Amino acid sequence: MTLKERLGREWLFCDGGMGTILQAKGLAGGELPETWNLTRPEDILDLHCSYLEAGADIFNTNTFGANSLKFPDDLEKIVEAAVDLAKQARVRTGREDAFIALDIGPTGRLLEPMGDLGFEEAVEIFGRTIRCGAAAGADLVLIETMSDSYEAKAAVLAARENCSLPVLITTIFDASGKLLTGGTVDSVTAMLEGLGVDALGVNCGLGPEQMLPIVKRLTEVASVPVIVNPNAGLPRTENGRTVYDVDPDTFAGWMEQIADLGVQVVGGCCGTTPAHIRETRRRVLEKPFRPASAKKRTVVSSYCQAVEIGKKPVIIGERINPTGKKKFKEALRRSDVEYILGEGLRQEDQGAHILDVNVGLPEIDEPAMMETVVRGLQSVLGLPLQIDTTDIEALERGLRCYNGKAMINSVNGKQESMDAVFPLVRKYGGVVVALVLDEDGIPDTAEGRVRIARRIYEEAARYGIGPEDIVIDGLAMTISSDARSAGVTLETLRRVRDELGGHTILGVSNISFGLPRREIINSHFLTMAMQMGLSCAIINPGNEAMMQSYRAFNALYALDDNCMDYIGAYAGTTAPVGAPAGPAAAPAEGKSPSGTYSLAACIERGMAGSAEKAVRDLVGKTDPMTLINEELIPALDRVGQGFEKGTIFLPQLLMSAEAAKAAFEVVKETMQGEDRETRGRVILATVKGDIHDIGKNIVKVMLENYGYEVLDLGKDVAPEIIADTAIRENIALVGLSALMTTTVVSMEETIRLLRKVKPDTRVVVGGAVMTQEYADAIGADCYARDAMATVRYADEVFGFA
Amino acid sequence: MKASMRDPKEVLREADRREIRRYLGYRGREAEPAVEEAIDRCREDLIREAAPRAAYRRFELEKGEDGSLVLIRPEEAGKVEEMRILSRDLARNLEGCLAVYMMAATLGPGPDRLVRRAEILRVSHTVIYQAAGAAMAEAWCDAVNERIREEEKAEGLFLRPRFSPGYGDLPLTCQKDFMRILRMDRDLGIRLSESLLMTPTKSVTAFIGVTDQPGRACLSGCAACGAADCPYRKE
Repeated sequence: MTLKERLGREWLFCDGGMGTILQAKGLAGGELPETWNLTRPEDILDLHCSYLEAGADIFNTNTFGANSLKFPDDLEKIVEAAVDLAKQARVRTGREDAFIALDIGPTGRLLEPMGDLGFEEAVEIFGRTIRCGAAAGADLVLIETMSDSYEAKAAVLAARENCSLPVLITTIFDASGKLLTGGTVDSVTAMLEGLGVDALGVNCGLGPEQMLPIVKRLTEVASVPVIVNPNAGLPRTENGRTVYDVDPDTFAGWMEQIADLGVQVVGGCCGTTPAHIRETRRRVLEKPFRPASAKKRTVVSSYCQAVEIGKKPVIIGERINPTGKKKFKEALRRSDVEYILGEGLRQEDQGAHILDVNVGLPEIDEPAMMETVVRGLQSVLGLPLQIDTTDIEALERGLRCYNGKAMINSVNGKQESMDAVFPLVRKYGGVVVALVLDEDGIPDTAEGRVRIARRIYEEAARYGIGPEDIVIDGLAMTISSDARSAGVTLETLRRVRDELGGHTILGVSNISFGLPRREIINSHFLTMAMQMGLSCAIINPGNEAMMQSYRAFNALYALDDNCMDYIGAYAGTTAPVGAPAGPAAAPAEGKSPSGTYSLAACIERGMAGSAEKAVRDLVGKTDPMTLINEELIPALDRVGQGFEKGTIFLPQLLMSAEAAKAAFEVVKETMQGEDRETRGRVILATVKGDIHDIGKNIVKVMLENYGYEVLDLGKDVAPEIIADTAIRENIALVGLSALMTTTVVSMEETIRLLRKVKPDTRVVVGGAVMTQEYADAIGADCYARDAMATVRYADEVFGFA
Repeated sequence: MKASMRDPKEVLREADRREIRRYLGYRGREAEPAVEEAIDRCREDLIREAAPRAAYRRFELEKGEDGSLVLIRPEEAGKVEEMRILSRDLARNLEGCLAVYMMAATLGPGPDRLVRRAEILRVSHTVIYQAAGAAMAEAWCDAVNERIREEEKAEGLFLRPRFSPGYGDLPLTCQKDFMRILRMDRDLGIRLSESLLMTPTKSVTAFIGVTDQPGRACLSGCAACGAADCPYRKE
């Protein structure tokens, strides 16, 4: 029988520890265990045989660390030998029924953005091992000991793209129930099931006793079979030897309890031996077997959290979208990702649960931008994302690089749309927003819309996509053109909930297009929609009226325990909370209320909020350029001089810079188009090999405040990119940062290249290890000891000194 | 292997505020009120987001013919050489030691994420997170170190000061040995970049010598470092 015929239908047993046993057999420090496939094959063969004789049904090839990073030259030889030894063991023990698992462990490197291994690079590393193992005759791929969900995703994709074998995966949770990178049982399960794994579970890290609560949660949320491979307890060291204490009898006792939780596959990891597996098998076989059951939960996830749809309405932040936003469009054109990330972080703080991500603009490369923004967002925030695009390539790029199970916005009832979107949902997983329109347009009755919803469910089912992974968009359209439209939308929501048992979503604010004071209509419509079962509201979480409706609804509907969210948001505030002040509310007099600081004082003290307020009082009464040149810049200068003299320190300098920046923003708004004159354009980059860019970012803030436009090329930047940009943009000054002695070499290389191809460009260098001597030795034009020194040098280069 | 310790968050909370200010360049001075306030907030964020973990292992120490240090692990199959290091400065630090610990400690990925967020919204906080994070990592290492000291004290043995890769002539390449031996990847969530830097960045590895000679004078910390003009040097 094949694995797929047996998996989830009967008890199956994995083998136990391998590395710990090889160590006991004398594996030397630094010796890679996989080399024994070639140098000591008998030892590996013996180990396999002992596990097969103990009753393991699924046993691992000795390929945990077999990847092209560790074996660039003889990977294929190592993997083929490993599979061959497993085959021999099967023959020698007469266990032809057992399944050879191609064992895949982590690469040992950390993926971008926290680390320096590219996602696609990781997919290819896993792919090479998997192609080889599958060709050699493995029966399944077992990805194990994954502590990073992103790396787990790379491995699963590699398996699905490079072979047709079943894919099983186990990750490593700590005692608090989290991956080392922060994932939870819920978030990891959502992502892996979305990617179509055949079974999932947990291994290593903990003993069976400590795993109990994690396994319990796994069995509650997983719809595929659950695998549990614990260590023989928690490790101790005795004179440098690692010791695992839980003996086979005790281990098997715990495994009985784990079996009772309703798992389907059990085995062991570090410290477990054939005796552990034999005893576990004997006792678990006596337990009743329960197959895994479909949980039918609607869940999206990020690297660290899962959001369930359908219990309590969910807020989807709509601000990452260029429609009608001049600044956002500009940011997209300039590839100013930081601006977009800022929009994301603000919405997270304002209470969004999921963020919609739309970066569509005709003149940009949307697929590339989608990937960049998705990667950027998931590096700074923990909210699940909703990939919002009509460009199928952009959709795939976003889904592929996403570290979790995304929401997808959107599919609709047109055959063409379903043909394009559903294959991607099937491959990458996701909860897809389905618009109830088709080739004939948008039906103007609820009946018509529900009919399309049914058809979308049916078509999705043909791809194996269940109704739980679909959220129906009832389509809110403005009541200013059709007075009945709200009624049709609300009735659609109700019928999807009551008749189809489905979940719903709306872009709420569309309802008021063309009307004045839109938030009045919007916030009331939101309440009505939630009353009709709306599961997800796409809104601006920064709009207080909408959030008031949302919080009030939850409190009134017993969806807010003890009204805690409501109280947390509004206790101690007075109505109307944060409502935009009407014109009458703005201070009419030029004088600040007593006790507040002047604009210059706010900047010098680093009080961004107060500086912003102070400048709002002044604009309109004072010429913007006068404000900048006579208030802002002098204040900033005083702080800069204090810093140079050593009376003011870096944090204060930066806080002042931020206060000044906030003030500049206000002034800029009032200047309407006539931009502040740029003093000059400067490239900043942290050089190749160096991933520290705090210093560089500090310099950036200071330069921008002094009126320079900064082309920030980021960190780990190759010399060619810096040189190319300098030529293309005709840049007069390049700033390079390096933190480590080892990367000063890259700095030197960059300078050499610049001298050759763009000799008129000046180079200023800085960074923790940099000194005047170093700077001279590598041929820099200037050594800047800190951010202010860089500003002074830029002033010199551009003639402002 | 994994240290069971005092409540790690408590350890982080006790990280010396003066130390944070020193990393920020204040050299014993009070910071400005707005900065002091920001330090308070950043400390709370760090304590909330940090996930401190640590691991250590003890090895017998022998000298190779070429003067290299050899770390030995006894196994059923006999003594196994775990690691061999040629470093004059580490050898001096471990002079007269009969055993050596390898330790690794980390605050986890949380602090790095806080820094990254601050880069987007408030650059001023990046330096404060860095400074407070460094002080907390140091405090966490001290706590782990203290735990090892107590274990050895029970045997009548004493510890030498910590010595980390990158100190003196001890090369960063031995970070790879720390990774492998302490299983930093799967137990602590620490990985190495190609240039041998650790992620999460608030992570520390070190050797700690074990000796039967108490109180042999041995410089540690800033006093042992050659960088006399370092702005962070303790007086």
